Amino acid sequence: MSISTRVAGFIGRRYHGMITFLVLVGIWAALSHLKVVPAELLPAPDTVLKTFIQNVASGLLGKSLWASLIRITQGFLIGCSLGFLLGALMGVSLTAERLFAPLINALRQVPIIGWIPLIIVWCGIADMSKITFIGIGAFFPMVVNTFEGVRSVPHGYLEVARVFEFGKWKLLSKIVVPGALPSIVTGIRLSLGTSWMLVVWSEINTRSALGIGDMLDSAREGGRMDLVIVCIIVIGVVAFLINELLGLLETQLQGWKKVSR
Amino acid sequence: MEKLGTLKVKNLNKGFRSGKEDVKVLNDINLTVQPGEFISIVGQSGCGKTTFLRLVVGLESNYEGEILLDGKRLNGPDLKRGVVFQDHRLLPWLTVEKNVGLGLKNGRNGEARQTVQEHIELVGLKGFEQHYPHQLSGGMSQRAAIARALVNRPEILMLDEPLGALDALTRMYMHQELERIWKQEGITMIMVTHDVDEAIFLSDRIVIMSSRPGTIKKIIPVKLARPRDRAGVDFLRIKEEVLEEFHLHTETPFSYTI
Repeated sequence: MSISTRVAGFIGRRYHGMITFLVLVGIWAALSHLKVVPAELLPAPDTVLKTFIQNVASGLLGKSLWASLIRITQGFLIGCSLGFLLGALMGVSLTAERLFAPLINALRQVPIIGWIPLIIVWCGIADMSKITFIGIGAFFPMVVNTFEGVRSVPHGYLEVARVFEFGKWKLLSKIVVPGALPSIVTGIRLSLGTSWMLVVWSEINTRSALGIGDMLDSAREGGRMDLVIVCIIVIGVVAFLINELLGLLETQLQGWKKVSR
Repeated sequence: MEKLGTLKVKNLNKGFRSGKEDVKVLNDINLTVQPGEFISIVGQSGCGKTTFLRLVVGLESNYEGEILLDGKRLNGPDLKRGVVFQDHRLLPWLTVEKNVGLGLKNGRNGEARQTVQEHIELVGLKGFEQHYPHQLSGGMSQRAAIARALVNRPEILMLDEPLGALDALTRMYMHQELERIWKQEGITMIMVTHDVDEAIFLSDRIVIMSSRPGTIKKIIPVKLARPRDRAGVDFLRIKEEVLEEFHLHTETPFSYTI
């Protein structure tokens, strides 16, 4: 499939979603232009657009977004891969499950806010603590979903592996991982969602020089609601696009599901 | 000296623990299967016929007695014994070709490809190599599962109600196919079924099992020329004989004394 047909397909699929979005912008424009809501509280769409262009041109928006994306990537990669490894280990080994499951089930109930004091004392307020927060947030959904995925591989398929005398590696690569894949992808999605939440949250909580969360909080302090809205839209759109990319990867990995009868 | 590929089951007993109770599933099973023979095991559900099959495959353990192949005690699954499950158990994420090649040690070399292709053709799935299981009908899925079980050239093929989920017409067609494959491969087949017609059509001997605990009630030889005529007098006579064991025969003596 060429890029252009993919883009066309994408727009086609999202067409109805676009309508909702445009209607919302229309209502927003009407509210602010008719001065139903004061401009300090809800700036007009064109003001927001102007602020967006200004901040793109100055490079501030790009740099902030980039700084946040780097933090997400680091925290997500660490948390998600550790989560995958432990989840997979617990899935294949009953001993590992007995050793770690109670601990994981206790710790994952602790809200992220509960970690603030420890993490800040241990990691300071620079990048390290933000990455740790994201790592913790990304870790738990991944552990749980990978574990569930490995365990949900039908027993019958494991018997097929026994009948054919599969070695450990063949068992994992041909049966366990493909069987657990839908659940693993769900884990990745949830991890990524949590990562986004936590990058903005941690940037607001422990400020840094650059970051989309910092930008948002600075705008709030300055009473710049137009800039706040710009940040919100940028976060939403970028997270949405990453999620779409992940969906594409998912269909690619599970090509066999796509083929229709 | 017995012929190579002889399966011998001696004084086989098997129980399960269910809560605090020991449930006896198989009681003193004795059976010798000659190489190249087609054996059907017929019984009502719960008579332990699937457990028996799983024991011979090696998927169940902890039994009393002996299961011997060429005089050697079986120890876990082995590529010498293939199995076709009732639910075909093809891996949904692999194509027919890859599913069939699953059991081969070196699935990628030329010889393996050749073997896979031969077996796909043997079961009549040529042209469907690149299809995924969900694109196949029930009968085609079972064909692929049969090819997958045969690809390692096992001495014995165990079939656990392989056609149970198919509609009646497809099933009859698959009987002919199974007979053709059995003849062509010259392999021993042991099939668990609850379809009496199926058992008579295919088997050299029919092992009838009774329930709780599972015991061999009777072994009925089927000495009819192949291919067999389902409506033939001899066929129906054997059917009466089998059904009698389940107290299901009809009291119409004329039906077989014409």
